[in-house]
Amino acid sequence: MAEESFLTDDFLRQLINVGEVDILVGLPTHNNAKTVGSIVQTIQSGLVGAFPRERAVILNVDAGSRDNTPELVTSISIDDMRPASNLHALRTLHSISTQCEASPAKGAFRTVLAAAELLRARACVLLSPDSTNIQAEWIATLLRPIYHDGIDLVTPTYCRHKFDGLLITNLLYPMVRALYGLKIREAYATEFSFSGRLGSQFLSQNSWDDGAGAELRFILAAITAKFRICQSYLGEKIHVERRASDLVPALRETVGSLFTALDPDLPFWSAVTGSQPVTTIGSEHEVCLGPLRINRKRLREMFATGVNELESVFESILSPATLAELQRIAGMEEEDFAYPAELWVKTVYEFAASYRKSVINRDHIIQAMAPLFRGRACTFLTENRNSSADEVESNVESLCVDFERLKPYLQQLWNV
Amino acid sequence: MLRETVLPLNVSSLNNDPLWYKDAVIYQVHVRTFQDSNGDGIGDFQGLEQKLDYIQELGVNAIWLMPFFPSPLRDDGYDISDYHSVHPSYGTLDDFRKLLSSAHDRGIRIIIELVSNHTSDQHPWFQESRSSRDNPRRNWYVWSDTDTPYKGARIIFLDTETSNWAWDPVSKAFYWHRFFSHQPDLNYDNPAVREEMWNVMKFWLEMGVDAFRLDAIPYLVEREGTNCENLPETHVVLKELRRKMDENFPGRMLLAEANQWPADLRPYFGDGDEFHMAFHFPLMPRMFMALKLEDRKPITEILQQTPVIPPSCQWSLFLRNHDELTLEMVTDLERDYMYDTYAESKMMRLNLGIRRRLAPLLANDRRRIELMNGMLMSLPGTPIIYYGDEIGMGDNINLGDRNGVRTPMQWDGGANAGFSTAPQERLYAPLIQDPVYGYPAVNVLAQEASEHSLLNWMKRIIAVRGSTAVFGRGSIEFLRPVNHRILAYVRRLGNEAVLVVNNLSSSAQAVELDLRAHKGTIPIEMFGKNMFPRVGDLPYLLTLGAYQFYWFRLRRI
Repeated sequence: MAEESFLTDDFLRQLINVGEVDILVGLPTHNNAKTVGSIVQTIQSGLVGAFPRERAVILNVDAGSRDNTPELVTSISIDDMRPASNLHALRTLHSISTQCEASPAKGAFRTVLAAAELLRARACVLLSPDSTNIQAEWIATLLRPIYHDGIDLVTPTYCRHKFDGLLITNLLYPMVRALYGLKIREAYATEFSFSGRLGSQFLSQNSWDDGAGAELRFILAAITAKFRICQSYLGEKIHVERRASDLVPALRETVGSLFTALDPDLPFWSAVTGSQPVTTIGSEHEVCLGPLRINRKRLREMFATGVNELESVFESILSPATLAELQRIAGMEEEDFAYPAELWVKTVYEFAASYRKSVINRDHIIQAMAPLFRGRACTFLTENRNSSADEVESNVESLCVDFERLKPYLQQLWNV
Repeated sequence: MLRETVLPLNVSSLNNDPLWYKDAVIYQVHVRTFQDSNGDGIGDFQGLEQKLDYIQELGVNAIWLMPFFPSPLRDDGYDISDYHSVHPSYGTLDDFRKLLSSAHDRGIRIIIELVSNHTSDQHPWFQESRSSRDNPRRNWYVWSDTDTPYKGARIIFLDTETSNWAWDPVSKAFYWHRFFSHQPDLNYDNPAVREEMWNVMKFWLEMGVDAFRLDAIPYLVEREGTNCENLPETHVVLKELRRKMDENFPGRMLLAEANQWPADLRPYFGDGDEFHMAFHFPLMPRMFMALKLEDRKPITEILQQTPVIPPSCQWSLFLRNHDELTLEMVTDLERDYMYDTYAESKMMRLNLGIRRRLAPLLANDRRRIELMNGMLMSLPGTPIIYYGDEIGMGDNINLGDRNGVRTPMQWDGGANAGFSTAPQERLYAPLIQDPVYGYPAVNVLAQEASEHSLLNWMKRIIAVRGSTAVFGRGSIEFLRPVNHRILAYVRRLGNEAVLVVNNLSSSAQAVELDLRAHKGTIPIEMFGKNMFPRVGDLPYLLTLGAYQFYWFRLRRI
């Protein structure tokens, strides 16, 4: 029996009406009515300003909003802005919308890739509705390397607060860099652009049973297939307040996806030594130092509680030496607490190896990582409490070097 | 003067409808380019008269003749040195009268040029005016001791002129000119000039000409602190000429040449008491733009901005003419796009435009040529066909100025393309000889012999257009299918409705049209007269091949 298409007839009709395009902008949404209007206007300004001659479509993939988000996306016209902006679109600029599964992370990216292939888009960009500080220039910054310079993937770099993106600085960036050999700052990006050929290849070669983390797998796939990659600086990254309960889903999407990729990518990453810089347009990365309140005490307590309560789980995942060391630091007084970099790297690598072997349910492995990450985050916050931007960057670099230095340890675990 | 004495002698074949220009298809031709009857290498009135059967068979019912007056020909006749005669190269006044009569016999009206804004600097009026500061005709032109007045006026011929003022060494003063410096502007603040221009019109109207194309009319009057275009005083002058013409020569027509935005053009129609027709300049480049972009937006956008005009008035539409494809009425962004896509060679560019003919602009793609003519014939207005475009003639960008699109008409594949018996080197301009567009490949004789030639297709579409008044007189309502590559509209006049669907794309397209307002009608395709499925409640699905278009008469039976 033929596989049923995940694209609805109504969506296909919209695509037929749009026809072939040069540029596709993907915008996954879920109840973003308050901000999506200005974001779409900014995207339109960016397209008209930087790509006035190109055929473009804005594709909204909505996860069942109840606040008319899709209607807002499709009703906004560049011509409405004309008197204020003096922008004039040479050709019709389409905005279309379709639905995906309840979570925008699941299915949205696949829908964007499918639409890009059907519309034969040369260049695509995925944008986040959370990026309320989006600038029209982002469109050019992300798309020009694809459209004009033959690049296949553009990942962003940002000006981040020194304590924003702790999962990226303490795990994703150093581990992707160590294993895949490229200094890609934001391997888990909510804004990035890619060529149509990269999109088509990924669409056809990947299983889409679970759409979560597809963006990270996409970027890793681009690295292993040796597509041309660069980074573009987008400026300030809006800090999105997250609840403690958001961490496990985030770990599933990021760390889970990364761990999942390691097995099929073994031939690639096992042959990689060291790491290479990636061409970056604009600044590499900037750190800003403004005040940001994070409850370190609470993080340490959650770490200690987790280590104690999940001992039996950790016995399945971690080596006795690593577990013993974690238990030792879990008993430290608050002022003495430190989760050293080397111990953290070994922890992560041991989790990765256990994940591969599925020593217990893989989702439980990911969940078990949450308290440990909180402990590492607490240490990072403490160590960099009074650090300058350069010092923070130096510490991140040092952690990356540790990940690279200890990579043989991961290989050793992998081969056991 | 009694009206009976001013009517042309032979008007029996012309219909008496005073709105005749609404149903017309106009053929634009330069006497010099069409047919040489005396072997001197230059087309003439007798030659044109010999070819009236060809023009009649094409199906057009009006001819617009470019300037044929005595002139030093430094601007292809738009530099007139005598308004009351004809250039000797083209024949005599009697020859013109015979042409006029023969055209009328065939039901074809004649539109001539009235270059009213300026004269040649060789015109006796200017020679007198410059002869001394106290000459009676001194004030017939615009003089100044300095070149500082009217700084707000733009320079139109940017490639050749650096100022709108030119120094006259004879009278040691500056004279005003909006075009070439050898074309001094007449001073319409002077009542004597206005009276004399009416005398010029009267001269030709009495002879029987049916209409004037008034050249460069926005520039008639100058005022300090303005851009010297479209001034209220200009409209006063024009209304006065129109009133006199209507009183003395009813049924004649004035056509405005004013390269302006539609909103600025609107006043030239007045309350139906100024011009009968005006060229819709901004639409033309946007038709080319829409075709290249494969997007209807440029066309629908400019037509949305086009104001309603009085019922007796009409837009005049064209694809190409004797000038460059003007890009004055587009944005910088659009101009750059047009240059890059239609004139990649700098030699193809002139002033703010592209000096190319229709077929080369469209890469000699028959489908695109047909689609563009289909839109020309079906959008609201009176279409004008530039001579030679009906057979897909090419151009010669190696000739200077706009002469590359003014080469001899290609009648056959024989000597001099059948245009003249003169030695080839005596022709007023070289023939097109390249392998694609040269006269051996592109000529009337060959196309008349081929049922499916462009020429015969043009005859068919003109005939189909003429089968209904809806195209010339009907309203337009744009349909807005989501597929932006489709330009669709319904033309309606009384109970008659015609649906036009154009595929601007180079690939096949499907389109769903909302035709609920026409539920129950049966679309009859107007070329083949075949029925299509009856219109119902559901979106009406059509598929169109690359650059295909349909005209459907929506019949309620």
